[in-house]
Parts: sequence; structure tokens; C-alpha cells
Amino acid sequence: MRMKSVIAGIAASFAFAGPAAAADAICYNCPPEWADWGTMLKAIKADLGLDVPHDNKNSGQTLSTLIADKANPVADIAYFGVTFGIKAREAGVLAPYQPKYFNEIPAGLKAADGSWFTIHYGTIGFFINVDALRGVPVPKAWKDLLRPEYRGLVGYLDPTSAAVGYAGATAINLALGGTLDNWRPGIDYYKALKKNRPIVPLQTAYARVLSGEIPIMFDYDFNTLRAKYKDKCNCVFVIPQEGTIALPYVMGLVKNGPHPENAKKVLDYLMSDKGQAIWANAYLRPIRAAAMTPEIAAKFPPAEEYKRAQVIDYAKMEAGQNAFRDLYQKEVR
Amino acid sequence: MGRTRNFYLQLGFTLLVCAFLILPVLMSIVAGFTENFFIGVKSGLTLRWIVVVWDLYAPTIFRSMYIALATLAVTLVLGVPTAYVLAKRPGLVTRLIEEFLVLPVAIPGLAIALALILTYGGFRDFRTSWMFILVGHVLYTLPFMVRSVLAVLSSFDFRILEESAASLGAGFCRRFLGIVVPNARSGIVAGSLTVVTLSIGEFNLTWMLHTPETMTLPVGLADSYASMRLEIGSAYTLVFFVMIIPLLIALQRYGTQRIKKLGRA
Amino acid sequence: MRRRENRTLFLMVVPAISVGAAFFLLPLARLAVVGATGPLGPQAYLAVVTTPQYLEALLSTVVLSVAVTATTLVIAGIAGVFLERNRFLGREALLSMLTLPLAFPGVVIGFMVIMLAGRTGLIGELTALLGVGRLVFAYSMAGLFAGYLYFSIPRVILTIMAAAEKLDPALEEAAKSLGAGPWRVVRDVILPALAPALIASGAICFATSMGAFGTAFTLATDIKVLPIVIYTEFTLLANIAMAAALSIVLGVITWATLAASRAVAGATAAAAG
Repeated sequence: MRMKSVIAGIAASFAFAGPAAAADAICYNCPPEWADWGTMLKAIKADLGLDVPHDNKNSGQTLSTLIADKANPVADIAYFGVTFGIKAREAGVLAPYQPKYFNEIPAGLKAADGSWFTIHYGTIGFFINVDALRGVPVPKAWKDLLRPEYRGLVGYLDPTSAAVGYAGATAINLALGGTLDNWRPGIDYYKALKKNRPIVPLQTAYARVLSGEIPIMFDYDFNTLRAKYKDKCNCVFVIPQEGTIALPYVMGLVKNGPHPENAKKVLDYLMSDKGQAIWANAYLRPIRAAAMTPEIAAKFPPAEEYKRAQVIDYAKMEAGQNAFRDLYQKEVR
Repeated sequence: MGRTRNFYLQLGFTLLVCAFLILPVLMSIVAGFTENFFIGVKSGLTLRWIVVVWDLYAPTIFRSMYIALATLAVTLVLGVPTAYVLAKRPGLVTRLIEEFLVLPVAIPGLAIALALILTYGGFRDFRTSWMFILVGHVLYTLPFMVRSVLAVLSSFDFRILEESAASLGAGFCRRFLGIVVPNARSGIVAGSLTVVTLSIGEFNLTWMLHTPETMTLPVGLADSYASMRLEIGSAYTLVFFVMIIPLLIALQRYGTQRIKKLGRA
Repeated sequence: MRRRENRTLFLMVVPAISVGAAFFLLPLARLAVVGATGPLGPQAYLAVVTTPQYLEALLSTVVLSVAVTATTLVIAGIAGVFLERNRFLGREALLSMLTLPLAFPGVVIGFMVIMLAGRTGLIGELTALLGVGRLVFAYSMAGLFAGYLYFSIPRVILTIMAAAEKLDPALEEAAKSLGAGPWRVVRDVILPALAPALIASGAICFATSMGAFGTAFTLATDIKVLPIVIYTEFTLLANIAMAAALSIVLGVITWATLAASRAVAGATAAAAG
């Protein structure tokens, strides 16, 4: 039946004239596949009757576009990794709003005034395409990847350019004995890793892990589980022995956005039972833990392993980003 | 012409260049139909990726076509008269205008987009409409239309034709529409094909200028390659090819035909 | 009579000039001003040459563009002249194939390079089969170079073919009859005749390479080209002033090169654009 609609669509295409009807709310950084926003946006359409188009910016692009648009914002809501949410609030592009269930969010995972608040979080680790390893054993620790057998098999997102890249750098640094003020262990690790010729993309490289181009990537558990269960790859998520961090993803209401009422409805929906259940289904940890069912929890690596993932002072992590960036560009690049 | 060793060497070289350009395209097309790229063609052939692309990105395809046609209309109205004036009065002022027209090709698309956002981003209705993208496309493609028509007009003396028409009593409008335009037709058609092709494939400018409501095909294509499986990106590329290949063939055929006509002059 | 005609001609260019002024010159002027009003002030423009990472990016971009232009002219020159002068089965098909990448966005080209030369790429598979190990060069300067060649060759080859059409075979015959070897014929007869087309299309090739973003973005090599640095300045820290200043510098350098090439090649525009 899908095919028929495709053919009908192609046939009707040349009768089509003019761009599509206006949306009800604009989201920056609501990519269809990341965190399964595709399903969420469809649910919003079905349950709230609001049309929110998908958008493929990353956290950094979202922030800078919000700043560029400041005089006359285009977006209503924005989704970021927590460090960019904090930056956005400092840049004055977010408006305070406390959605439903705001009080259920722990203090460290929201701005007190509601400028940004966590809706779900993920954990950093190894996203591994086992088949693409061609027999090389699955690594268990950050330090494993420095060994020669992993030459040419590793990739990580550029820490100076992508939120997940910086999250990975923080995770490594803390796991190997550094602190949010002392980046030395992390920097030394990247320098050592360079000998193994890693690939360092500037944007999401999910496709490249699936296609075998990058067999081991520093990425989130939810992306790995999506690959494993939705795209049916022989993929496994490994939480490194030395430890890692959890990273919250946050939503913010854009200041002076064009459709504030719709935006608030959407934000409330994301925190509702149904909304949180959709995140759980997409293998993200919903901030309202009750939404996670035992069946889905069983698909994650065991809770034992997750004990190695810390929650940290994200404001401090954000403050340290510039210093880290300069150090990385000077020594590793 | 005899088939000398030189001929085969050059043929081999040309074939190598073609292989370099085409093999990845073929691989991409196959990937668009493959169930699982990592496993390879063994995993089976399927149309489901094309269906997924249609589901997610159908609006971008229409939008790109629409914007390309609008760009063409605007560049015709702006570009053909400009080329005529440049051909008719070659001189210092027209040289300056030519330099000025070349600028959008010289300045990187990223920069032009940044400039447009800084200057006109404040007008929200304009910023969020497809016309914002149209402006970018017109700026980028106008030089190509003007140069194409100018090249044809420079290659024969249309002033003689105009003068004869004038001496027979034809007014300016009639001369322009009845003599100049038909004779410049090959340049106009070649320019049109170039404009449409460039507009459909334009990325640098559009990527910065677009909003979630005004995403075009190349921008969607870039997104799909980044964040979805390779098969989806490849299927999307396939749709792109289907749109672009007829245009390119026409461009190349028409282009060489016109060149043949001029070359023998 | 002529004055009235001048007025009509003037009216005919007014639309194009207004559009250009409103949507191009004005925004660029604004961009230049923004570039000078950041935290560094007008010094931002000097920062391009004084900050090592910017200077390195600028130099890499220029060197890459020059190398790509030179290589493209050689490759397109050989293939273009050959295709123009010979007729054989499959010629039309070859020609279509060579011009196909003309419309590809840079990101797609980046992925084409990965398909050829990435870790799971075709070339790697071939060299692995041949037993010499897996050759992977997509993520190095070589890969970036290949990507840039990929979009440059189609652009240049049509122009070369147009110019090759106009070559007078009589001159070559004359040279040969005077005893010139094939290489001398190329150097002294063909190249000078093709020179305007080579210069014009080479300039466009250079300009496109200088401003190319998508390919470098996808391949993300260690060596950053200037458009990537501009992108990072804009998206990472919303450092709009620096991004603006770098864009202006990049634009000025590219335009100056185009202007110089036009002066050298003469006033008329190239035939096939």
C-alpha cells in the first residue's frame, strides 16, 4: 500500500505547485532518527494536532542559529546536549518555562528558572559493529583502543565541534584520572590514540558504523541500541572498564518564538507519560524513570555496568569547554 | 583517422577518469536498492529505502523543483536583458558590471549566506519563506545565465540584424523580442539548463539559509547521509539522479550542438 | 536617437543591478562591517595572517586549490581534446558520464570518495585482493584532493571541448610538416590556442575549490580548509565577527585571482561558460 502512495505521489507531483503549508511550531534539532524524534513528531501530530517539521541541526549549529536569529526568532523550541543548553541560557536566547512534572527533575539536571530542562539522557561508551571488526576482539576499556590491533578501526566525533564529541572527551578524561579542571589524561589519551589513525568526523556518523566504515565509535547507548534492534546490525554497546559519564539532553523554549502557546503544549507533551514512554522505547533513559518498562530495560546492558557511568557537574563541564578546546587544538590536532 | 597507439593511450586515460567519476555513483545506486549495504548485494534488493526517503523527504523534492523553476524565471527576466546590454555597449561601465556579476561565484556560498542572514534575517516572514532561498539561488546562478547569453551574442554581429530591422521600421521591443532573443536562443537554452541544474544541486548557500520548513533536496541529502543508514542516503541520491540526469544530458547535447554551430562560423 | 536608446538600455539593466545591490553588495558590506566589530575590532582582519591556525587554513586552502586547478586542467585537457577530436562507439555515453558530477552537492562527493577510498572502499578491497594491504586514503589530504578533482573535472571539460572545437588543424599540419614532434606541437600550437579557455575555466575551478565546503565537511581531514574554519567559528562559538572577517578575506583573495585571470585572458567571456 506504501508503494501505491509513492507512485500516486510521483504522478501527482507535477500538478503540485507552491511550497507546503506553514508549520504549527518549529523545532531546532529534532532529527528524525536521533532519539527517534521521527516517532515523537508523528505522535505530536496525532495527539496534539500540531505539525512540527523535523530539523537536522546539531547542538552547536542550533545555538549559533538561535543567536543569529535573535532579533526575530524562527524557532519555538530547541533541543541540545546539556552544555549547549547552559550556553544558550547564558546567550539569552531561551525563555523560562516550567513544563508539567518539572518538579520531578533533579536539581542538577534543569535550570532553576526552567530555561532548560532534561527530557532524557544517554551514556557514552563504545558503539561497535562486531561484524566489521573481522575477528578482532571486542574492546572492553578505553586503554584497549591504544593497542595496535585496533589500528584503523576507531572513530570519534570531533570534540571541538560536536556535543557528543566533547562528552566523549570528558568521559575519557574523568575515567583516566583527570578532573573537570585537569584535562591532561584526556589530552594524552587522544595523542596516543592518534597513532592508531582514528577517523574524526565533524557530524553524526551513525551511517558509517552501520556500513562498517568505522567499526568502533565513541557514541551513546541509545544510538547503539537503535542500530541493534531497529536496523538489525550485529552491534554491541560497551561501557568501558575505567568508567564513563551520562549526558542529559535538554529542551528549551525559545525567547520570542513565533508560536509560544503551541511550543508550550509540545514541551508538556515531551514530559508527559506518553512522551516519556516514546523516549524509553527509543532506548533513551527518560528523566521520569517510571516510564522505563522492564522489557525495554532488559535490552540495555546490565545495571551493574551502568554503575560505572557517573553523573557530573554539568555546569562545570560547560565552563571548561573553551579551555579544553584550545588545548585539544594545540596539542592533538 | 587511424587508431594509433596514441589514440588507445588517450582512450585508456579517459576511461580511467570516467571510472573514477562513475564507479562510486554506480555503487551508490546499487546501495540504494540493497537491503543491507554492509552485507552487500547478497542481502537482497529492495525498494523499501526509496519508500522511506519518500516518506521523510518528499516535500524537499518538490520544493527543489519549484525553487529551480522560479530561479530560472527570475534569471531569465534579469539576465537576458543584461547580457544584451553588455553585448551592445562593450566599454568600461559594462566591464565593471561584468566584474560585479562574477562576484557571487568568487565569494564562498557560506559567506553570502551569512551576509544575507545578517542583513535580512530580521524580517521573519521573509527569513522563513522559500523566497529567502530563491534570492540565494538567483545570486549564484545569474552570472551563468548572463555569460551564456553574452557568449552567443558576442559570436555574431546582431547589430547588423537589428539595423536592418530598424530600417524596415521595427520598434525597439519588436527588434528585441523578434530578432535578438530568437538568435540568442541557443545561449538562453544552455543558460537555462545550467541555471536549473545548479539550482537543484545548490548546497553551500541553501544549507545556511534554510529553516526546517524550507529544506531543499541537497540539504536533506546531506542530512540523510550523516544521520541515517547509507542505504537511505543512497536511495535519496538515486531520486536526485533521476531528476538531474535528463537535465545534464540535455545540457551536454545542447551545449555541444551550439558549440558546433558557432565553431564553424 | 542614441540617447533614447541609451536610456532604454539603462532601464534594461536596472532590475539586475538593483537585485545585485540589495541582495549582494549591501549584505557583503554589512558582513565586512560585522567582521570589524567583534571582540578583536578591525584587528580581526589581521588575525587571519597573524593567528597560526587561520593562516595555516588559508595557506592549505590556496595550495589545495592551485594543485587541484593545475591537475584538473591537465586531466581535462587531455581527455577533452581527445573526446573532441575522435569519434567512436560510446563517445556520447562517456561524455555524459564525465559531466554527471556537475550537479552533486559537496557532501555527496565526500561520500563518493569514501566509497572509493574509505576503509570499506573499492580501492581498499582491490588492493587487499592484490595482497598489498588495504589502501585507505579518503581521510587524508589525498582524499580531499580526489574529492575536489571530482567536482572540478566536469566543470572544466566542457569548456576545453568547446575551445578544442575551434582549433585550426591547418596550424598543426604546418607544424608537423616543418618537422615538429608531437610534444612540440602540443606545446607550441595547441596550448597557446587553448590558453584563453584554460585560463578562464581554471579561474572558475580555483574559485570553486576555494569556496568548497561540503566535501571537506564530510571527509573531515586533520588539515582544515578555510571554509571549515569559518563554519566552526560560526557554529561552535557563534563567533560571527571572526566568521565574517574570514569570509571577506577568502572572498577577496578569490575575486582578485579571478580578476587577474580575466585581465590575462582578455576581455571576452569564455564560450561555454
